[in-house]
This record gives sequence, C-alpha cells and structure tokens, in this order.
Amino acid sequence: MLGKALSRWTLAWFASAMAFLLAALAMATFGLAGPGRWSEGWALAAVHLFALGWLCQMMLGSLIQFVPVLTARPLILPRLALPALILCGAGTLSLAGGFLALDGWPTGVLLAAGPVLLGLAFGLAMLMLGGTLVATRAWRTQDGSTVLLALLALPVLWVTGAGMGWAFGGIAWGAALLPDGLSLHVLLGAGFWLTLAAMGVSYRLFPMFLIAPDGSSPWRRAALIAAALALALLLAALGVLLAGGDPLPLAVACGLACAFAAGLYLGEIRRIWQSRRAPAPETNMQWSRAALAFLALAALLVAPALILGGPWAEAAVFVALAGWLSTLTLAQMVKITSFLTWIQVFAPLIGRAPVPMVHDLTDARAAGRSLALWVAGVLVGAAALAAQVPALFDIAALVLLLAALLHGHELIAIRRLRHLSETARPAGLPPMILPPSDRRTDHDIPRPASA
Amino acid sequence: MTSPAPHRLDVRPSLAQGQDPFSLIMQAVDGLQPGQPLLLIAPFRPVPLFNVMANRGFSARDRQLPDGGWQVEFTPVAGETVEEGLAPGSAPGAALWPDPARALDLTGLMPPEPMVRILETIDRMTPGEVLFATLDREPMFLFPELAMRHHEWAGNFAADGATYRLLVRRGI
Repeated sequence: MLGKALSRWTLAWFASAMAFLLAALAMATFGLAGPGRWSEGWALAAVHLFALGWLCQMMLGSLIQFVPVLTARPLILPRLALPALILCGAGTLSLAGGFLALDGWPTGVLLAAGPVLLGLAFGLAMLMLGGTLVATRAWRTQDGSTVLLALLALPVLWVTGAGMGWAFGGIAWGAALLPDGLSLHVLLGAGFWLTLAAMGVSYRLFPMFLIAPDGSSPWRRAALIAAALALALLLAALGVLLAGGDPLPLAVACGLACAFAAGLYLGEIRRIWQSRRAPAPETNMQWSRAALAFLALAALLVAPALILGGPWAEAAVFVALAGWLSTLTLAQMVKITSFLTWIQVFAPLIGRAPVPMVHDLTDARAAGRSLALWVAGVLVGAAALAAQVPALFDIAALVLLLAALLHGHELIAIRRLRHLSETARPAGLPPMILPPSDRRTDHDIPRPASA
Repeated sequence: MTSPAPHRLDVRPSLAQGQDPFSLIMQAVDGLQPGQPLLLIAPFRPVPLFNVMANRGFSARDRQLPDGGWQVEFTPVAGETVEEGLAPGSAPGAALWPDPARALDLTGLMPPEPMVRILETIDRMTPGEVLFATLDREPMFLFPELAMRHHEWAGNFAADGATYRLLVRRGI
C-alpha cells in the first residue's frame, strides 16, 4: 500500500511533463521557434507544449501530491487524477497541433477541440484540489490561500486562451482578445496560476528542506494581498478589453502589483533562508536560488515588457517560464522524486532492515551539473531574445535540451536506485512511472493458509 | 435519527488475486460517513482486524455465511469519538493510554528522519507501550505506515502551532 498520503499518479504526471519538455525544446532546437516569430504556428505549438505540457502538468501533478500534505487530509475524488492527466495531455497535443493551421496545415478541429479537452482537465483538477482546499477551509492558512488564489486564476487563464484559440474559428468575443489580450493571458499563466501555486508550495517545502521555522508571517500576508489586488486589476483590464477599451494602464498597474508581490515573496524566502538550521543546503535548494534570481529579474522586466513589448516582452516571458518556473521545478524534482521513491521502497523496511538516507538516492553532482547547464541555457536564451539573434537562441535551446536529457537521466537513476550499492538495493523495485499494485509481500496482516 | 446504510466491502476477489486487502479495508474505513457501519465479507474470520477496528472505535458482529465465508459488521461505537482537538485518524481512546515509556525530541530533523526514528523505536518497544514524540510538522507519511504495522497514534499541534505532539502505542 502506498498509503493515502502518497498520490498514485504523481510520477505519471512528472513523466508526461518531462516528455512535453523534451518535445518543446527539440522543436526550438530545430529552429521552429525564436526571436520575433512567436505568433507563427510552430512557435505557438512549442510554447504551449512548454507552458501547458511541461509547467502546467508538473504543477498539477505536484499539487495533487502536495494539497493533502498541506491540508493534512486525503484528496477528495483522487480517482480523477488519471482522467485529468489524460485529458490534459490530449488537450495540449490537440491545441499544439491546431496552431499549425496558422502555418497552413490542414488540422481540422484540433484548435477548437484543444481548449475543450483542457477545460475538462482543469475542471477535474479544480474539483480535486479546490474541493479539498475548500472542504478543509484552507483559506485560513497563508499557504492554502495562496494556492487557492492560484487555482482561481486557472479558469480565467483558460477563458482567455480558449477565446483566442476559438477566435480563429470566428468566435466574436474571442476575436476581441486579439492582440491586446495576449499579454493578459501570459500574465495569468506565468504570473498568477503558476507563480502563485509555486509560492504556496514553497512556503511549506522550503522550511522543510532548510530545517527552518514554519508558519505564517507578515511577508506572506502582504504578498497575498498584493497578488489578490493584482488579480483584481487584471480582471478589470480584461473587462475593459472586452468592452472595446484600452487595457494597458490597468495591465501595467497589475504588472507593478505582481512585481511588488514577487518582491515580498522573495523577502519571505530570504527570511526563511536566514533562519535555517540546515548546515549545508542540498542541491535542490542551492539551485532554487538561481530560480529565485530569475523571478527577481522577471519581476523587474514586467513593466517594460508590458509598455515596450517586442524583445523586452520576449525576454521577460522566457525568464519567467524557463528561468524562474522551470529551474525551480527541475531543482525540486530531484528532491521530490528521491523522497517519494524512498517512501515507496524503504518506509516498509524501517526497523526491519538498514535503510539509506534520502539523499543517498541522488548523485548531487550529476543533478548539479544538469541544473548548471540549464541555467546557462536560460541566460543565453534570454540574451538571444533581448538582442533578437535567432542563431544564438537555437544554441540556447540545444543547451536546454541537453540539460533536460541529463536531468531526465538522473531522475531515472533515482527511480532505479542506481546510486545505491548492490547490497542496499532491494530486489523488487516499484514500477518506474505507473502506480504499484496493492500487493504486499513483507508485512501482510496474518492470513490463514486457506486464504 | 437513522444511521446511514452499511458500506459493503467484499475482499474475496482481491484476496483471490493474491492482493493484501488491508489497504482496501482501511481506505473503506477512511471513506465512511459518520455513524456508517462497514459490512466486510471475507473468506475467513478476520481476527487480526477486530483489534485494529476496535482501536478505531468500531464494535464487531460476525457470522459465517452458508458458503463458508464470513460476514463482519463493524459498527462505530457511539461516544467513541476522537477527542476535541486531536488530528483526524487519532485513536479514540488515547486519553486512557498508559504514560509514555519513551520520549523523542525530533524537532529540527528533515523528513523522513523523524519517521525513521519513530518506527525504529516503536518496533523495539513491547506491545501496549506508548512512545511520545515532538516534531516540527504533522508526519503525513508516517500514519499509513503505523496503520500497516497495527500501531495506534494520536496527535495534534501544540497551542503555539510550532510543535506537533504525537503519541504512538505499540500494537501486538
């Protein structure tokens, strides 16, 4: 038994997300996306494989695992995790395929169907995650309310995305979103849904990994209020846009509120970091600092990106998605995968056989190398977008692809316990990705021979 | 007020496939509504389960079926509710447990180290003895493992919210 504290499909979400990451980076490496070309079909497909397939699936998979820990209750309707994963993957593929219609490909109903599938996936995820958070009145805690605010942004993100996708099929309100709604859509996805969810999760995980005091703080409350204000401004900007007005002043005010919220969040993380008792932070936390630096850079770029657009906007979005969110995700994936693998394999053996430490499952140097390569790729990519040099962006994409492949290799090694000695490795390993069966061999309840 | 209809769980098919029904049963128990009984069908009389379920506040009434199987109705005992302020899943009778024989301060340790120390310690204690531990956070991954090993626990956060206090009673 995995126990009700361990979600059965977490690793399947992670594996699916990694596959989408590799696909998006391979497309960028082949020159299908790059500076000044983001409205082309292939580029939009690559961006959505990255944002939806990689980042959004990682976030949903992580929340399905994390919300029960946050609320200290089992997830409601946990059986929706697999249908949500399948719908999310299919919706992402359908949408990405549908964007190729912009390049003249005959893609049929793909562009219309993608948002429908994704809407169903998000609906199921909201039922599980939002339902559990609401049932446990998680809004009373600061990490819970931060995740709830992130979940509130998800349907708005979907409406703006579906509207723009359907605009190509002649939906009038969708057409009103183009082109000025694009910046609001990107802010909703990168700034609200993904960043707020990452903030909520890190409030709980960072003190655990740094052995620092956990709990509420004035910084968290202030960041939450600033983020809620920013979301209200964004909704107002969206309303103005749909009514035919100019949303830019409200959008810039929203961007500034977002940047302020990010600053407060960084202040809170600094406080946690300084109160840590862990003598030497592990690889996941070391490299999360690079992610936090990218968040600071993205926050600084929000206002110029909204006002000036062009290279500023391209670099800002890239720093947010590839720098802040992806570096954080990749760094924490090492720790979370080794922790879940350890719980799966060694928790039943505690007290009955010697068990390794969780960090023994990881090769910290290998993980550090792939993360360093990733960060280098992000820096080169951001420079290529700022300077509008397509060849340099292709090189950056290749570096990111290599980093992701190396990181994937290390994650597989963790799942297979390859860094443990032969003697420390149990004979039977759980499946790499799929949930294990409920079969137990070592400490079943006593059972008569007739059973 | 009438109590909800019993939740029926037949574990014979999963046992026939060689699977351990314990996790299925515990999942079913976790999913019961307040006051709802569990009607368990098994190919044998599930004696070890009586103790586990009694510790969770259920009385048992069993009878043999004509086909040789056993049917047990586990009914929640009125009044056997978890004390106010204890985390859900806590054993109802924890107030009556003996004084702790061992105490562990597990604050300042990174998970899963507290879980390792608790399980290693409780497995060396004698049945019925109680272990007291203080932790930085609710040990979510420990609870299923305690249930699998037939130990009971009761826990909550101290008033300041900074320390989690946990009692674990060694099972048989």
